Amino acid sequence: MSSYIDQDKMIQSKSEFFKRFAIRYGFLIVMAMLFAFFSWWNPVFLRPVNLFSILLGATIYAILALGVTFPLVIDGLDLSIGSVAALSVMISAYVMVVLDASGVLAILVCLALGAGIGAINGFLIVRVKIPDLLATLGMMFLVQGVQLIPSGGRSIGRGAVLAGGVVAPGRFSDYFLFLGQGRIFGIVPTAVAIMIAVAIVVFVVLSLTRWGRVFYAIGSNAEAARLVGAKVDTYRVMAYVISGTVAALGGIVLAARVGRGDVSSGGTLLMDAIGSALIGFAVLGVRRPNPFGTIVGAIFISMLMNGLSMMNMPYYVQDFVKGSVLVAALAFTFGLSKGRT
Amino acid sequence: MKDGNALFEVQNIGKSFGATRALDSVSVEFKAGELLAVVGANGAGKSTLIKIICGYHADYEGKILVEGKEVHFHTPKAAYENGIATVHQIINEGVVPSMTVFENLTLAKLLSPELPLFYDKDKLRDEARQIATTMGLEIDLEKTVSDLSQSERQMIAIARALANKPKLLILDEPTSSLSEREAGRLFAMLGRLKEMGVSILYVSHRLHEINQLADRVIVIRDGKMAKTLHRPFLVKDMVTAMVGEIPKHSALAERDRELKETNLQLELRELVVAEGIPPLNLKIRKGEILGLTGLIGAGKTELAQVLFGIKQPVSGEIRLSGKVVNPRTIYEAVRAGIFYVPEDRAENAVIPLFNIRQNMTLPFLGIFEKIGIVSTKAEKVKVKSMIKSMGIKCEGTESEISSLSGGNQQKVVVARWLLEKYNLVIFDEPFQGVDIRSRHDIGEYVRENIGDKAAIIIATDIDELIEIADRIVVMNKGVIVGEQEYEKINRDELLHLVAQETNENTYKESIK
Repeated sequence: MSSYIDQDKMIQSKSEFFKRFAIRYGFLIVMAMLFAFFSWWNPVFLRPVNLFSILLGATIYAILALGVTFPLVIDGLDLSIGSVAALSVMISAYVMVVLDASGVLAILVCLALGAGIGAINGFLIVRVKIPDLLATLGMMFLVQGVQLIPSGGRSIGRGAVLAGGVVAPGRFSDYFLFLGQGRIFGIVPTAVAIMIAVAIVVFVVLSLTRWGRVFYAIGSNAEAARLVGAKVDTYRVMAYVISGTVAALGGIVLAARVGRGDVSSGGTLLMDAIGSALIGFAVLGVRRPNPFGTIVGAIFISMLMNGLSMMNMPYYVQDFVKGSVLVAALAFTFGLSKGRT
Repeated sequence: MKDGNALFEVQNIGKSFGATRALDSVSVEFKAGELLAVVGANGAGKSTLIKIICGYHADYEGKILVEGKEVHFHTPKAAYENGIATVHQIINEGVVPSMTVFENLTLAKLLSPELPLFYDKDKLRDEARQIATTMGLEIDLEKTVSDLSQSERQMIAIARALANKPKLLILDEPTSSLSEREAGRLFAMLGRLKEMGVSILYVSHRLHEINQLADRVIVIRDGKMAKTLHRPFLVKDMVTAMVGEIPKHSALAERDRELKETNLQLELRELVVAEGIPPLNLKIRKGEILGLTGLIGAGKTELAQVLFGIKQPVSGEIRLSGKVVNPRTIYEAVRAGIFYVPEDRAENAVIPLFNIRQNMTLPFLGIFEKIGIVSTKAEKVKVKSMIKSMGIKCEGTESEISSLSGGNQQKVVVARWLLEKYNLVIFDEPFQGVDIRSRHDIGEYVRENIGDKAAIIIATDIDELIEIADRIVVMNKGVIVGEQEYEKINRDELLHLVAQETNENTYKESIK
């Protein structure tokens, strides 16, 4: 069957060429046009300070999106990443401010928690066989609740008053804050550097190593992957562990940026992260999760939000635009390249 | 109806895909009550012809005539309404597995907008019963299709295609997943249809069947009509017209047998595959290609799964070159050099997202690794050489796997297991939808490279095994009931062993 569809594909007409061009570069062209439009509308948009703030705005959910790329690659999804990041914010504040412990310990505890939650997700999906969406949705609610428990539902900042009327003894350590607010060599914001580092690691793992190949194989045909000896269950659990750990890292950077443990942090992180990863499908028309596309997707969302703010669009319109763009991008890649499966 | 006049006719049909000429000036008449077989190698243009007739390709050259009048089908639906029904190769596209037989048989009615919201279920049931009776279906109508065997599903798919009383029925590889006995039931049904005046277009790689069934055979080669054959046919003529001469394989006997006689590569000792099944004993010599046949459910695949670590045996030993291995996981089996090419490549072997290179190197990425990074360059070199030695027809290592014909896809998933040295390689139904030329290519490659290792080829179709095996072992209800060496193969005797109702452990006793 499919061989004929593909022979159809071989038709080398002009329209075919444009179609392929559109699938490959269409998204980047739209992005460039939007960039030009915003710059024309308000020259402030083009200032380096603003461009950096676009990049910075993207970092947190870009990091989360890079993590969730793994579940997406194995044809799953992790909805708990937003709440894992929020938990990370609260726990790092709790460890440093309330327990007066070191930033390193805070980081280790957060990463361990993220990995643990990912492992539980993986267990629920692989062993208990709960569909990935439901398992991670449940986990999302669970973690959202858990993050409020240590502080009794209060935000934790420097000198916060605790449940017993005691003033919290500790504070965020300087090097911890450096992760969110500092600049490497005074130029590159640390958060951006972390994002790039995560992107490089994800790219290397997914595109260049044996593991990455197996991850993609599992996503495309899990049974075939199993029958060549791949430990499919282990890989699937690992995908969620990675996603949870990276989400925790995103939370750490967020905590470092705001410098306090805010109960309401992480609100839109989930949707922005998953939106970035899904828009990443459209970038270069590869129709599969890929780290480069994810980063571009995250920057795109951040640029869009930044530009719309400059045009004084109210926040509720922004969400609407964001959603429309996501749907349009997906319709574009999947609709135009129907014949490829 | 049975007057021999052309019901349908296609004249000078042609079709190009880009620079590829898929079909060139093919003219065929379809007569009422006639079974016309179309044969050809993979990619010869059979499927293109079918797809034009059944309205899938609206863009073609030439004419289609229905009872003398020219028509042009733009959609499969238009062809269907003009009395052309098609049953495609993949059975499960022709039935809805989650529905009952009755619902499947009346699906067209159930989905029609004219059906009232609260419809008369009993009336529909009667209709389904009627269809079943005409077709000679002996299946419980209330059963869910997913509980049925492949052949029963195939029958239902055909029955569904016949609901509209078509004048031309197109069957694409209808027996590719049926056993000999199941196919027999299908053939009986086709006989009844012919008597009813239905014209049948039959596509198959199984030339024996065609020899038995067809009234006329058209051979297509490289998109052109190569030959029309009338009864009585010779299978040899068909093959020659399809692909040219194919040499017989050199059986183990003609190779160096002495050395291999004494040395065993694989030995199964009292291996109990599942509870309640008598233990199996089997010996395979070094350098031997063993054919394993039997009906669906005879226990062939179960045995392969035990050898490959997918399932655990109840008891017994698997010995490779004298050493007990008993793999507990697939991973362990692969480590022990036991490789398995599963049946149903689309479901179990092909990674649709991957190109040819990625599909081929998947099991042994380790050999292409340098400091943890997979070297695409090294992969390409290896894959290129495999493409060449196995005769895979493709544009290059980076082509999409879906751009290949079925036979060539099969070569890719076979090749993936020949990248590393094996101790035992098992092919489970490797020739489904694979033409004789590709079968020969795969067979020759395995034969040339087997060295002192061993191979097991599992196939329900005995003829496929005769083409390649040194020895054929027959399983029946989980028990090995007989075997024949290549030089002494007696097709009828094998068929008898395959089909007989087993009650005999006599054979087992006799080899002890």
